[in-house]
Amino acid sequence: MPSKTLLRNLRLLSGLVLMAFVIGHLTNLALGLHSVAAMGAARWLLLDPWRHPLGGGLLALCAVVHTVLGLYAISARRSWTMTRTDVVQLVLGLLTPPMLITHVVATSIASDFDRNFQFAYGRMLAVYWSFAPKYAFQQLFVVMIVWIHGALGLYSWLVLLPVWRRIGGVVLPVLFAVPILALLGFAESGREVLQRLESDPAWKQLIIDHLRPISALLEQTESAQNRVVLGYAAVVGLVLAVMLGRMLHARSQPVRVDYDGGESAMGRRGLSVLEIGQGAQVAHAHVCAGRGRCGTCRVQVLQGAGSLSPRNDLEEATLARVHAPPGARLGCQALVLGPGVLVTRLLPAHADASAAREPADWVTEGDSGQLEPAP
Amino acid sequence: MMSWLLAAKVRMDALAADMAQAPLEWQAWIDALAISLMSGTGVRAVTYCLILLLIGGSVEWLFWTYAYGPLRALQATLARSAREALALSLRRLLLLCSGVLLFTGASIAASAVLSWPEGVQEAVLDVSLWLMVLRLAWAVAEVVLAPGRSARRLVPVRASHVPWLMATVVLVALLGGAARFLPDLVEQIGQAPHSAGVLRLALATLTTLLLLVAAFGFMGRPPRLAAPHVRLPAFPRSFPAAALVLLGYSVWLLGSPALSGVTMVLAVVLVLQMVLRDAVFYFWSARWDMGAGLAGAAATAVAANQLLPHIVLSASRFGVVAIGLGACAIALDTPLAELATGQGPLVRFGFSLLGVAALGLLTNLVWIAVRSTIDRRLARIGPLDPHGEPNPDARLLTLLPLLRVSAAMVLVVLLVLSSLWAIGIEITPLLAGAGVLGLALGFGAQALVRDVIAGIFFLAEDAFRVGEYIESGTTTKGTVERITLRTVALRHHNGPLHFVPYGSLGTVRNNSRDWVIEKFNLPLPIDVDSETVRKLIKKVGESMLQDEEVGHMLREPLKGKLSRIDPGVKIFRCKFETVPGKQFDVRAQAIKRLEAALKAAGIGFADGRQTVYLQRGAEPLLIEGARPA
Repeated sequence: MPSKTLLRNLRLLSGLVLMAFVIGHLTNLALGLHSVAAMGAARWLLLDPWRHPLGGGLLALCAVVHTVLGLYAISARRSWTMTRTDVVQLVLGLLTPPMLITHVVATSIASDFDRNFQFAYGRMLAVYWSFAPKYAFQQLFVVMIVWIHGALGLYSWLVLLPVWRRIGGVVLPVLFAVPILALLGFAESGREVLQRLESDPAWKQLIIDHLRPISALLEQTESAQNRVVLGYAAVVGLVLAVMLGRMLHARSQPVRVDYDGGESAMGRRGLSVLEIGQGAQVAHAHVCAGRGRCGTCRVQVLQGAGSLSPRNDLEEATLARVHAPPGARLGCQALVLGPGVLVTRLLPAHADASAAREPADWVTEGDSGQLEPAP
Repeated sequence: MMSWLLAAKVRMDALAADMAQAPLEWQAWIDALAISLMSGTGVRAVTYCLILLLIGGSVEWLFWTYAYGPLRALQATLARSAREALALSLRRLLLLCSGVLLFTGASIAASAVLSWPEGVQEAVLDVSLWLMVLRLAWAVAEVVLAPGRSARRLVPVRASHVPWLMATVVLVALLGGAARFLPDLVEQIGQAPHSAGVLRLALATLTTLLLLVAAFGFMGRPPRLAAPHVRLPAFPRSFPAAALVLLGYSVWLLGSPALSGVTMVLAVVLVLQMVLRDAVFYFWSARWDMGAGLAGAAATAVAANQLLPHIVLSASRFGVVAIGLGACAIALDTPLAELATGQGPLVRFGFSLLGVAALGLLTNLVWIAVRSTIDRRLARIGPLDPHGEPNPDARLLTLLPLLRVSAAMVLVVLLVLSSLWAIGIEITPLLAGAGVLGLALGFGAQALVRDVIAGIFFLAEDAFRVGEYIESGTTTKGTVERITLRTVALRHHNGPLHFVPYGSLGTVRNNSRDWVIEKFNLPLPIDVDSETVRKLIKKVGESMLQDEEVGHMLREPLKGKLSRIDPGVKIFRCKFETVPGKQFDVRAQAIKRLEAALKAAGIGFADGRQTVYLQRGAEPLLIEGARPA
């Protein structure tokens, strides 16, 4: 069993590399707001590093690592209780590889066929806007999916860091602006390219000549692409089956979590305190949705501490960071293995990301977790 | 009639034509769409749509980074009372709706900046409005029904119904939005009127089916909060609801969308009016009083006696009617100018209806206020014991039910007259007619009227109450047993019951008011010492004050004094004051005690014997049995 902290950092790092690549890509696209020429001019900085064998290798490695770790995280899920963000992340993450594969194959074939062709941004845009709009749609949706997935991941990581206070005001608008500007750039450059196609028949003919063999090659590789996608689908199916198996596992062994306010929740053995509470609609703060990052789900165990799984490294680190009192546990990491526990929530249910950023402001010994209504 | 049938026929033919021609037209439209999509235009449209989504999503995300904390706090707060629950829910609704509105507003505003291909912007606007309607409906349903969180639910529905109700609301919003936006879009942009017709038909049919299922599923057995002992035969609510839905559908099918809209609005208004009482009283039910432990029935009883729930109920009933009329106006395409100025026969009729509804609700409110006040007062007085002491509340017990009936009659008459007036029917002749009739009746029933009016004054002046002993003239006397509007029933002490109309009551002598002074004579021999007797009587009086039996009845103790000297007799006048009706008991007691006291003091009562002195010369002639002077 690899260390949870290591896995988490690895996933984060690979995701950051991928995000850097996507940001470069989209920034380049956004330059289309100025002109196609500007897009071409900025390539050397924004795109070409990734075409270098070193950059390309790193990118491929990160893509593989991120995908595998993501699939592993899905297979490691224990229950259906997910936040809305989690569901979005899961679905978008699973959709990304099959949608990207055509883009990767097409561009690599095209660049292998004619290294010069790929470098002329205008020609690629002409293909998208005029000759094969199918690819354009694919690209647009990939941009949306990848960006939303990446932005959600980046946001939910950054928002828990103390530094968010200072950079949040900049990062959030950038996260919103980049894809919007990129799409606007795409639309503007498309208009420019379409005009040129009409006014410059020689250029049009040149593209058609280049395109014919490429599309022939693409058709040949289509079955191979399909096979890759099928293989991926099989892996995803396997992962989902593992997840389902985990969820059905130990279904007949009910355990009980009692809360100090008198609420109680039933769940099956092996679920975390937080998951059992969420399943019974108990109000329990969980800003990072059970990733063990934020520490807002921390609880004090009043009875049955022996029923819980031992602390892992991730939990130790997070508890230390948020100045948790001795004996506290993270609700999302403490698995209920025995018959039942009695816990008290240390943070009110409405605790937000600031509880993770400035834990000192939120240290409330023995807080019941329920807000007292105003008199 | 014929023209209606003709119109229906035309409409049916049109529907059949739509059905026949739609597939081909649809195919052509889809092909055209595919071609225009697979070109630069299509790419641009899709790109712009994605940009709008991103902009709307970004704004909403930004909003939620601030609003999510408050939302969670609201969700975690436990409501302790109905008002608090409502306030919390409204705040939650405000947050949810703000998110939706921000999304829609931002994307629509952004769409104005972009240069769209022809026809796409309309479609985008319609779709974003549709999406907004759907999400708003969802938010409202979630706040009101609170699936999975019974503590937050704002309406009395069974927990097992909640997910289905939620699904119904969302689906109806989906279908309704689609019916509002999609067919027009297909007709205007796609130039495919037949397809639009079929789409309309399909959406209307689906909505009708959904509403029918909902009518039978949710209205079959309403969750009654009423007390179990008032088990009225339940009105089958589902059937009329389903009938209304079907009626609306048929009217639409026969070619009058406006009339169908009015029918549907009426149906919704009716259904709302049916469930409104339970929904409003739910807020005053014991569910919200933590630990009160009242059953639902008791709670409703509590709510029924409070004025506030009724005010809220009346206001919401009126609100529903007003909104319904507004919706009717929209469905009938009434011009806004007419609405604003109150012109046009339909608009005037609508306003009249609104006025009548307001009058009815106001009357209802006044009636409930009067009734609940009277009932509360009556309940506080409690039932009267007719053989007990005359009770100062007896008059209230008599007057209050009378007042209640009179108030009901006055309110009904006022309501009817003012409703007629509000609708625009001239009521002056009616009133005049009633006046003439009243005159005729008045002559005929002069005595009756005199009795009633005299009775009102007797009661108002508090001349007598139930349980009091009154005399009228010389023969009519007795204890008041019953008071009605026209007569008073007097029980004579010998048993007969007199029914005396107030008009012939005349002078009333009430023997049961405040106090009674009783006097009697005590004849004693001429030779007793007046002062000794006076003191003796006073002593007896003081001892009577201590008596358990009569002491509490006395207001002034027994006293006596020499009032007259007759030949051979000293007459002592005794008097005392008691509470009304007790003078006879007290007098008997007083005489008994006086007799004993006099005997103990060696004083006999004056006897009626006369002493005659026969004298011959200066020597009195002694006769046996006579005492010397």
